[in-house]
Amino acid sequence: MKMGKNKAWWVPWAFLALPLVLYLFWVILPVFQSLAYSFTKRDSIIFGTQWVGFRNFARLFTDGQFWLAIRNNMVWLVFFVGIPVPLGLFVAMLFNTERRGNRLYKTLFYLPMTLSFAIIGTMWMWIYNPDFGALNTFLRMVGLDSVAVQWLGDKRYMTGALVAVGVWRQVPYVMILYLAGLKGVPGELVEAAMIDGASWWQRFRHVVIPMLAPATVVAMTISVIDSLRSFDIVYVMTNTKARAAEVLASYMYSSTFHYSDYGYGSAIAVMQFLITLGFILVYVNNVLKNEIER
Amino acid sequence: MRKAFLLILAICLVLPVATFAQKQTEIIVMSNYSDQAPKDTMAAVAAEFMRLNPTIKVTINTVAHEQFKTQLVNYLTAKNPPDLLTWFAGYRMQQHAVKGLLEPLDTAFPGGKMEKEFPAAFKDACSFKGKVYMMPNSWYWWAVYYNKDVFASLGLKPPKTWDEFLAVCEALKKGGVAPIAIGAKDTWTAGGWFDYMDVAVNGGDFHKQLTAGTVAYTDPKVLKTFGYLADLSKKGYIMPNATSYSWQEAANVLFDGKAGMYLMGQFVKDVAPADKKDSIDFFKFPLVGANTKYGVDTPLDGFMMPKNSKNKVAAKKFLLFMATKEGQELFAKPLGRLAANINVPVPNADAQRGLDMVKGATWAMLFYDRDAPEEMAAKGMNAIVDILQTPDNMNAILAALDKERVRIYEELK
Repeated sequence: MKMGKNKAWWVPWAFLALPLVLYLFWVILPVFQSLAYSFTKRDSIIFGTQWVGFRNFARLFTDGQFWLAIRNNMVWLVFFVGIPVPLGLFVAMLFNTERRGNRLYKTLFYLPMTLSFAIIGTMWMWIYNPDFGALNTFLRMVGLDSVAVQWLGDKRYMTGALVAVGVWRQVPYVMILYLAGLKGVPGELVEAAMIDGASWWQRFRHVVIPMLAPATVVAMTISVIDSLRSFDIVYVMTNTKARAAEVLASYMYSSTFHYSDYGYGSAIAVMQFLITLGFILVYVNNVLKNEIER
Repeated sequence: MRKAFLLILAICLVLPVATFAQKQTEIIVMSNYSDQAPKDTMAAVAAEFMRLNPTIKVTINTVAHEQFKTQLVNYLTAKNPPDLLTWFAGYRMQQHAVKGLLEPLDTAFPGGKMEKEFPAAFKDACSFKGKVYMMPNSWYWWAVYYNKDVFASLGLKPPKTWDEFLAVCEALKKGGVAPIAIGAKDTWTAGGWFDYMDVAVNGGDFHKQLTAGTVAYTDPKVLKTFGYLADLSKKGYIMPNATSYSWQEAANVLFDGKAGMYLMGQFVKDVAPADKKDSIDFFKFPLVGANTKYGVDTPLDGFMMPKNSKNKVAAKKFLLFMATKEGQELFAKPLGRLAANINVPVPNADAQRGLDMVKGATWAMLFYDRDAPEEMAAKGMNAIVDILQTPDNMNAILAALDKERVRIYEELK
């Protein structure tokens, strides 16, 4: 449809007005509100407001728990991006061929995505139960008793156990993104490469992967954001009390709502925002540079 | 004509009464009594009150404890808040009274004042700057609960001293039973260990200074207390995988006879299956060294009213009912707790022993997270669990905790 020149400039804006106002009110405004709160000492939204300048931020830098949360978030980032993205692509490639039962496997694979984190968390808590859980029962059955540890009760394994659950749910999500992307790879292009004598790997590396770039950008960006804002699984599976597994979002939550330290909680939120923004900007900047070079 | 006039007059007189009878005031009670037994009992108290006061409808909204805790400030500051809230006496209540969020309740007691039917000792924990802000409902004691059947099968007796306690632990361990159950996924379960151990080692006056923030967690005396706790862990007396279980799950380990002892509040009996209730008994926390004096944790629970409550008159009427001998008995008796009202008879022999234990104590604490600021207690309890898990890191854990102590109390000034 061609837009007529006589259409007034304000028409699209009129359609956008309501969602835009809601977005400004519910998303943009709270961001600035958090920023403003982070410079105060306050014990609720309403009470005990006192301007403290950068004191909350200064405290962050000497707070061991904050650094632990950052470290845990980095563990999340590495594994949450490093595993689901290639694995999701691999699974998508498997399912992209016409094979009997493909549809069934695809659906089965996708099922975890349909469950909420609360349910996934509860389910995995049972699987991880040190005495009766499926995981340790299996490990003991195959003679790996020494590996049957307290997955959620031991500080050393907690974050790893939580990330594994997150990865389990993220792989099918990435798979769907790539399956959609693969639909957009023209068959002729792959055939042409085949005729030119390109091996499977060469076709994959030089034809399919570049064609999947947009899907990769989406998968990476979403995985980075999801890993840095991970909260649900940590909250459900540790009730945020197990501080060894604390991530920035859960630390923000416990500071704000358990200890009624809204100012400090807001400062953590601001840091989390900046870290996420940093990663995304660096990544998107790289992608754009590559696009332009091409 | 006269007849018609009389009829109209009669209708005019009856109508307002009739409409008045239909008009009910609804009061909302936010409750954290989310375990089944106290939840049912609370409903029974409200039902009895409504039977006596048909013009008032009591609606109880029960919220799981953790959610309740995080929402409490929101409840108190809402424009349209609930009319009554269940909560804890001591620091946990006073931190809200400081901000003027609570309605004074001085007159919502039988006889118009608290002292009349409530122990004078409770007034401090329920007041702030001379005004009463909490109507205490019930209280209970913490003690070492044990499985009588397990003790009998191994020929064990409840220990009185620390040495005897360690001997019992050793015997249980040899008998294939975990000596001590702790549901350390709920870190507060470790708070009881801290209170009892510190008072047993250093006395209640020192413990009070510690919860008031005037003593360092790196003080040699505190190190000594934690040394005892770390020792229990090193000797393998704590049940395996303790940090994976909640307090109720650990209680089941005790009920099933897979653990011998559990330092817990009297409410542990709320969650015991009917056929196991009688095999669970308690004894006083053992005395350490030559000490003969002891302390007890006696948390006091009650109700408070948000300043913004819209139905203060009706809510106070309900409070007054819950403060009477009848109201308190209705709640405490089925649960085997001690009522705060002194006129309520002790509900059973167990409670009598609990009461005697409290009466014989030199020091009474509310609980670590009610005597100390919430954040301090939360971090302290985390540290205790960490020490139980990695006893060799004790000094580093306590040094980090003390850094927090300095900051937390500084910010309170």
